[in-house]
This record gives sequence, C-alpha cells and structure tokens, in this order.
Amino acid sequence: MHATEFQLPTRFGTGALGGCYAPETLMQPLIDLEEALRGAVSDPSFQGELKAELRHYVGRPTALTPAPRLAAKLGFRNVFLKREDLTHTGAHKINNALAQALLARRMGKEEVIAETGAGQHGVASAAACARLGLKCTVYMGVVDMARQAPNVARMKLFGAEVVTVEAGQGTLKEAVNEALRAWAGRCDKAHYILGSALGPHPFPTLVRTFQVVIGEEARAQSLEQHGALPDAVIACAGGGSNGLGLLVPFLGDALQRFAVEAGGHGSALGEHAARLDGGRLGVLHGCKTLLLQDEHGHTAETASISAGLDYPALGPELAALAMDGQVRVLRASDEEALAGARLLCETEGILPALESSHALARLPDLARMGFSSVLLGLSGRGDKDLSTYQSKLGL
Amino acid sequence: MTSILPFIMAGDPSLDSLPVLLSEAKALGIEALEVGLPHSDPIADGPVLQAAAHRAIQAGATPLKVLEMLATCADSPDLILFTYLNPLLQIGLERLLQLLRPTAVKALLVVDLPDSEEPEFEARLRAAGYPMIPLLAPTTDLDRARNLLAVRADPGPEYPFAQRFAYVVARLGVTGSGSATDLGSVRERVKALQSLTSRPLAVGFGLSDPTVLAEVRAMGASPVIGSALVQALADGQRLGHFLGSRMG
Repeated sequence: MHATEFQLPTRFGTGALGGCYAPETLMQPLIDLEEALRGAVSDPSFQGELKAELRHYVGRPTALTPAPRLAAKLGFRNVFLKREDLTHTGAHKINNALAQALLARRMGKEEVIAETGAGQHGVASAAACARLGLKCTVYMGVVDMARQAPNVARMKLFGAEVVTVEAGQGTLKEAVNEALRAWAGRCDKAHYILGSALGPHPFPTLVRTFQVVIGEEARAQSLEQHGALPDAVIACAGGGSNGLGLLVPFLGDALQRFAVEAGGHGSALGEHAARLDGGRLGVLHGCKTLLLQDEHGHTAETASISAGLDYPALGPELAALAMDGQVRVLRASDEEALAGARLLCETEGILPALESSHALARLPDLARMGFSSVLLGLSGRGDKDLSTYQSKLGL
Repeated sequence: MTSILPFIMAGDPSLDSLPVLLSEAKALGIEALEVGLPHSDPIADGPVLQAAAHRAIQAGATPLKVLEMLATCADSPDLILFTYLNPLLQIGLERLLQLLRPTAVKALLVVDLPDSEEPEFEARLRAAGYPMIPLLAPTTDLDRARNLLAVRADPGPEYPFAQRFAYVVARLGVTGSGSATDLGSVRERVKALQSLTSRPLAVGFGLSDPTVLAEVRAMGASPVIGSALVQALADGQRLGHFLGSRMG
C-alpha cells in the first residue's frame, strides 16, 4: 500500500527511470497536475483551443525544409530540417509553454513559475502568459543571463519578472532548484511550467505530450512531401524536450534515431554535459535518470557553449530509450557545434541555435555511417547566440 | 514529547566540531537531534541551509566522512539523519547499513523520498531499525496524512521519540525564515493530526522565536529549530547558549 497513487505510468524503460521524487509539499500539487493533464488531453475543447493557438499564434505546422546544398556537401541524398526555429519566439519551447499555460488557466492558477537555461523556455513562457493574462516569474542562472541577454530583455518586454539565480555555477540546474523552491512556496496559486522533459512525474510525460507535435508533423510531412520516411532522425538533447518531441513519433519505424549531447570542451567530469557516457543513475530534481555526479552523489558541474544543453541530467524517458537501444546518443564538442552552425549558415542561409548546431555537427558521421536520407530537428534559431558566434567565429 | 528538536548541518561550522556539538546537546538534555547531510542541490532548503551545506561540502564534509565522524560520537542524543535521496543511493544500501550501525542515528528523514518511490530500500532500512520519518505538509490533506502515517507507521510507544515522530511542515515553501508562519492554521492542523494519531508530532519550517516555540509546545507538539540555530553556530554562538533560552 502507498499513500501516493498516480494513474499514468511514472516510470520508463527496463531501468524504470523517472518516478516522482518530490518533497511532500509538492506531492498533492503533482497529483493534481496529473489529474488536470488527463482531463485536458481527453477534453475536445482544450485540444481544440490548443490546436488553434498552435496554428494561429505559434505558426504550426512548421516547415519541413529540404536542405539540398547541405546534403550535397556532406554526401547525403536528402537532408530535411524540421524548422522549430520558425515558431513564434523562435524555438520548440513554445509548444509546451503555451499548452502548460492553457493548463494553468484551466486549473484556475493565476500565476506561472518557470526556469530557463538558454532563455527560450523563459521567453516562450513569458509570451504564453502575456497572451493568456497570467503573471509570470522566470528563474535564470546569472551566467545564462549574461550569455543570453537578448532573451532576458524579451522576457521583460512580455511582462515577466526575471529572477537572477546566483548559486552554484549559475546555469540551468540552479534555475530549476530555485523554481522548485519557489513553487513549493506558492503551489496554492501558481503552476510551474517546467520546460524540459524532466522533473518529478508527471512533468516528463506532460512535456513529452505537448512536444511530440514536432515529430508527428515531421513524420507526416516526410510521407506527404517525399513519399517516404528518412533513414535517420537526429536531434540535440539537453533535458530532452526537443529530442523526445522529434524522436518519439518515429519509435515504431524502421530507421535510426539519434540524440546529440553537449560534449563541451573536454571529456573529464565538469567539462561537458554528456550524460550517457559520463553519467550514472541517480536522482536529481525529482526523477531517477542518468546524471553527471561525483562519487558522493553530489551533482557535478557541467560545461557547454550552449546554455540549453548545459544540464547534468538527461530526461528520464530519453535516458531510458537510450539505455534500451531505441535511441543512439552521440556527443558534439563546442568547436564541432560552431562548425555545424557555420556549415548550415553557408549552405542554406539558416542561422541555427547553438543547441541545434550540436545535431548539425554530427551529420558528417551519419553520412560516413551510410545513411542517405536524414531528418534533423532544428530546435531553434540562433539570433540569441549571435554574440557567442561573433566572438567565437571572429565575425 | 520532547521540548525541542534541533537541526544542525554536519560539517558546518566544521566536521571536527560535530562531536562537541552533539555532546553539548546531550548535556543540555536534548533527547533527539536532526543532523543534515550536506547536499549539492537541497531543493527544499532556504538560503541559510543552502549556504551551510555549500560551506560543509567545500570543507570536505562528504557523506562518508560525516557518517564516519558520527560513528566516533558516542556521547550524542538520538539522531535523525536528514538528507536527500541521491547520496544514499550512491552509497548503496548494504554499505549505508554498515555505516549507520556504529552511529546514534535512529531514523531517516529523506526530503525527496515519497512513500511510493523506493519501497524495497525503505523496507530494508526499516527492518534494520531505521524507519523513515513521515512529512506532513500544508498541502497534505487528512486522507493522505492518514495513509502516510499508516505506511510509515509508528513503531510503538516503547520506541524512542526519534523513531516515532511525524514531521509537520508549518508552512508552504522551504526551510528558514522566509515568510511568517500562520500559527493559527498550524494549531488547527496539529489538532486535526492529533485526532488521527497518538504518535508525537514535531513542527518545523520558519520557527525560531522563543515565544513561537512555546506556542508550538502548547499545542502538544515539539518545535524544530533549524536555520536559526545553523546561522547562530555559523556566527560563532555556542549551541548551549542559543538553545538554552529556547528549551521551554
């Protein structure tokens, strides 16, 4: 017998990753959230409103763009780009933020709390809250605020309060810590819009539910526009919202699925955010998953040129898919990501986010492996990263 | 009912001070004391305990060193190990049991371990004499509280306070004095919980003022004093001096 009973599965894969490792104060809010999620997804009026907002506000469906010059340069027959960079606010994060903001309103919450790394989830949450008339507070690490300054300004323009998190290394992990603490203090009136497919149940399932639109569209567009599926699908993975969103709808297909983590600037602990090789199972932020940690169970520092991938844990569902062989996880270094960004700029005139550039960086390997038709998730646009590109590429 | 349940962060102000602090507490007549295992990501703790954990980790107070140091503290109140789950998982159950055996630890309070998540781990610890202390938050309704109290059951009146009590979280939020605690609502909740159970209740989160501690005692519950004590120790105050005026 347990006091806590959820209705949806809380664990993923043969390793039973995930779970709900939350402080007692948050348990009832999490149980309530699961109930709200179940109610919303089976309610045609919620689904209808979400669909209309995704179409008219977000700009879905996003394009599936053939990239023939990129393909020719790397020796592929076809490369297709799923263009989440073309969404309103410029990254896939809006899919989940908008849906959760609708859910928050449905639950009668007046206020939203969010964390952000690269700032895209913060901007998306701030935008969705402005649109729905909800108060929004975004927690962001001090280092990320410096390297993603344009996004801080955008959040403020949308009326959000941006709270600087000074603790630790001042990146996404600390922002999640602070957002969880804030939620524990205001869970009676606030909903917490977690931006990645991590955290305690039901967040990983909730975020995946609202992000699989990426892969569902991409799959249908492949068949419709090209009459066939690609033979490989690849996306970058920080927590895993973009990776899962693209890859999950392709799980039943006879093709290879790849996720690319941040290789940072070295292979020692603290120099990267590559959880599959470098991590061990552990519990952080409410879920059991692959985690970069020291021998004492303290979370390790991470490093990546991209704020959105700079997180010590891989979301539990993506980690389970990787451990069970359904998704192959690769890594790309900071330098390789920069080269990937430059390649796409020069061949197709598209400026990718540093996060997406990690997936681009591994395309030459996919060509060497013999794949001829590849679909790549372009998770976001690179405008937010211009200052990094300028300084690192000597522009 | 014990008159006060103090919390200290192991390794702060220093690991070497731990035996002295525990024997000082014992000499004061403290029956039970929560000892915090410093963690890198204490998501349920406010700024004071975050800073204390950070200082302790910086000074090398690893979970193993803390448990080894506790094994040398023969003169100690009963201890409740207050911790997050991951360090325990990484130590592993068998080794954890070995490490706990020579210490005064009588129970565990694992902040991020609900009853449903590691039932086998929890059952083995309980069978070895280390029950999990249930937490009851302002968001825990009475039905859920009843279930939690049944799952993490009172071992019985012949057992010490440290193994029997349930921890009532006084207010929403994290540890420390962030916002004022509404004592009226705490009183109502304590009363309702006392109608569910005869086990002792401790009330914590944001309590430090001697009059507030006295009010909690008047409810028939034991006040927990954490952040305020940890801050006082960090500022160089003596444990006996700080707790002396707050013992009731």
